[in-house]
Amino acid sequence: MSDGLVSILDGNTFVVSDSRGDIEASLTDPTGLFAYDTRFLSRWVLTVNGQRLTPLSTDDLQYFETRFFLVPGTGTVYVDSKLSVIRRRAVGNGFREELKILNHDEKPVDLTIRVDAGSDFADLFEVKDALKKKGTYSARVKDGRLVLVYQRETFTRATDISATAPARFDKNGLMFRARIRPHGEWSTNLDVVTAALDSGEARQRPTFAQPRGRQSMEANLDRWLAEAPKLECDWDALRETYRRSLVDLAALRFSPPILGQRSLPAAGLPWFMTMFGRDSILTSLQALPFTPSLAATTLRALGDWQGTRVDDYRDEDPGRILHELRYGELTAFEERPQSPYYGSADATPLFVVLLDEYERWTGDRRLVRELEYEARAALNWIDEYADLMGNGYISYQRRNEKTGLENQCWKDSWDSISYRNGRLASFPRATCELQGYAYDAKIRGARLAREIWDDEELSSRLEKQAAELKRRFNRDFWIAEDEYFALALDKGGKQVDALSSNIGHLLWSGIVDKSKAKAIARHLLGSRLFSGWGVRTLAEGEGRYNPIGYHVGTVWPFDNSFIAWGLRRYGFKDEAAQVAAGILAAAEFFNGRLPEAFGGYERTLTKYPVQYPTACSPQAWSTGTPLLLLRTMLGLEPVGDFLVVDPVLPVGIGHVALLDIPGRWGRVDAFGRGRVSVGEKKGLR
Amino acid sequence: MTAAAVVAPSLGPMSGATAAFFGELAERGHDPLLENTKGTLRLELADGKRVDRWFLEVDNGNVAVSRKNAKADCTVRAKKELFDGIAGGEVNATAAVLRGALTIQGDVELMVRLQRLFPGPPVRRTRRSRSADGRRKP
Repeated sequence: MSDGLVSILDGNTFVVSDSRGDIEASLTDPTGLFAYDTRFLSRWVLTVNGQRLTPLSTDDLQYFETRFFLVPGTGTVYVDSKLSVIRRRAVGNGFREELKILNHDEKPVDLTIRVDAGSDFADLFEVKDALKKKGTYSARVKDGRLVLVYQRETFTRATDISATAPARFDKNGLMFRARIRPHGEWSTNLDVVTAALDSGEARQRPTFAQPRGRQSMEANLDRWLAEAPKLECDWDALRETYRRSLVDLAALRFSPPILGQRSLPAAGLPWFMTMFGRDSILTSLQALPFTPSLAATTLRALGDWQGTRVDDYRDEDPGRILHELRYGELTAFEERPQSPYYGSADATPLFVVLLDEYERWTGDRRLVRELEYEARAALNWIDEYADLMGNGYISYQRRNEKTGLENQCWKDSWDSISYRNGRLASFPRATCELQGYAYDAKIRGARLAREIWDDEELSSRLEKQAAELKRRFNRDFWIAEDEYFALALDKGGKQVDALSSNIGHLLWSGIVDKSKAKAIARHLLGSRLFSGWGVRTLAEGEGRYNPIGYHVGTVWPFDNSFIAWGLRRYGFKDEAAQVAAGILAAAEFFNGRLPEAFGGYERTLTKYPVQYPTACSPQAWSTGTPLLLLRTMLGLEPVGDFLVVDPVLPVGIGHVALLDIPGRWGRVDAFGRGRVSVGEKKGLR
Repeated sequence: MTAAAVVAPSLGPMSGATAAFFGELAERGHDPLLENTKGTLRLELADGKRVDRWFLEVDNGNVAVSRKNAKADCTVRAKKELFDGIAGGEVNATAAVLRGALTIQGDVELMVRLQRLFPGPPVRRTRRSRSADGRRKP
């Protein structure tokens, strides 16, 4: 988000305004009230006696609520201090704004208070790409409310604006006349309600749900925080980061309207407030020891929407887990394929990984039985549909050549998969981490088949396939002279030889031969990949390396959390602690809220992490990062019905206690003390 | 998926992709994609002034298809022409919901499960190991 903008968020509804609380959007400007990938308000401007207001301060009360303190006048020198204006705004099915004006004068004051309102009903994709609208707009004033409507054939989106104080409505807003006695006050509630999918009988008349109450949202957040484990530690910043993570995760929970009432993590503000297969799965994995319910809903929702047919426009195959689901106009008219779009090569194996990890933590065998068909179909997809080159590896190449995704791995920007010399690889591309995920899915699927589905035949077949995959992978992807795994294999099966962070995910999945792990750990913590804050997406010295290139040199916190987990898995506990220490130290600079990515500059050079210019924040898997790092540092691992704790913490973190960790064991506590020197002069602080 | 009408006397005279879709579903009587699903669905498909009705009872994979006029957990409304497109794989059901061309009342989850059964668009066979009808093998 740009500086000076204020955002509040609840699930997939969010408001972005300036520091006065006003919205004056242009087509390419991301301010407004957004829900279901549509902008429902693009203009919302408050004036008092014809004057705009000047902000004194802004308080973010909750993730869903902000308060603006304002005074009339926009002059830089003179402000009329006889009046105070307070706007308190909470989101939830649109938003409610409590507008209050205080008269500090000894004389009464007569005011004309106006709110200009309007909507361009832009699809989020249009805001991103500046496209033109095809439908018609209308505004109706009726029964003390203003209803703004956008209509294109049967597609209707509407915004309903009303107030509790008597108001005069016109097609461009509403106006109040108030006389405020000396030292008196005047107030009104402004309700802005969004209507998207109508309920059936009300096709011509969209129905409006009531704005959700602030109290119930507060109670919901309190419950969410109360159910999560408590963190005690000497390092204040870590406590702050932990709390920030839990609150942001609560804000990013969202119940898609065509999913029933389940909530799962949306990917991130502002562009990705929707269900993403990859992001929802990885965030659920990160948060498993803290909020296991997210994993259950993610698995159910993704299972429901699993691909069942071959559809080239959506890159859908039977068994494939979706990439992205959208609700906007372009998706509705099939001008974009996100209904849903399936172009992701990793979400499907990761679905099986999450299902197994979820059961290991919670012991919820019922869900594993419930999703048996979907998990089998996912495992089948790996062999039947994902092996595009017929060489036994998952690879990807979009079938939707116009609006499909070129790169279907997490590094999805155009220039992410290159050789050392910077040349881009040909399609299909078999990136290395996909093979790791496939291996892990087979190993975990084998366990589920044996222990829960009672299918010994499938279990041993998967184990055999996994062993064979591991053997081949360690031969075909290994670059012997430099001792690391190639980023990918290209169309001809040739190694795409750049050194990248992807090798860290290989440790996490367990596909790496023990004999090769040490070299991988050495690369990850070596100066070409490790910046001091974290592991870069692409190593310094590679042709396309750029410390502020989206996937070619920046440091991604989520990437690092899985790398740390991988290092732990192969016994590199100190190295894992070092990665954790770097990322958590960076979090402190971002007030506990890690952005999706930050610059790959050397830590000693910049002293602070350099934020990537257009990074999304909060972003779900960055929000989940401190959680997974805590798990990794404390060495939390479910073994049977017990939770094993094996803490290896960086010096400077001091004493750490994580209390009431939920799981199949009930609730247990974990304690640890920092002892690993991480190379920084004064440890973490 | 065959385009021809399926003979299932209890369902009355039928033609078009919708009839073929439900006829085949009735004949199968079971679909693994409807495991863990329980409830009733009513479809009202407007055809000029007529309304074509379908009634589905789903019980953990077992499906009974009829023309019963009864209340259901989930009611789906659309034009018959549109639904023929969905049942024939030419129109995407989810996009139709998003643009209000198909409306759902009641338990949305049931429609989410049902949409899994709709076929994909007519397949251009470009890659190996795909079944011709675009449906996955159970």
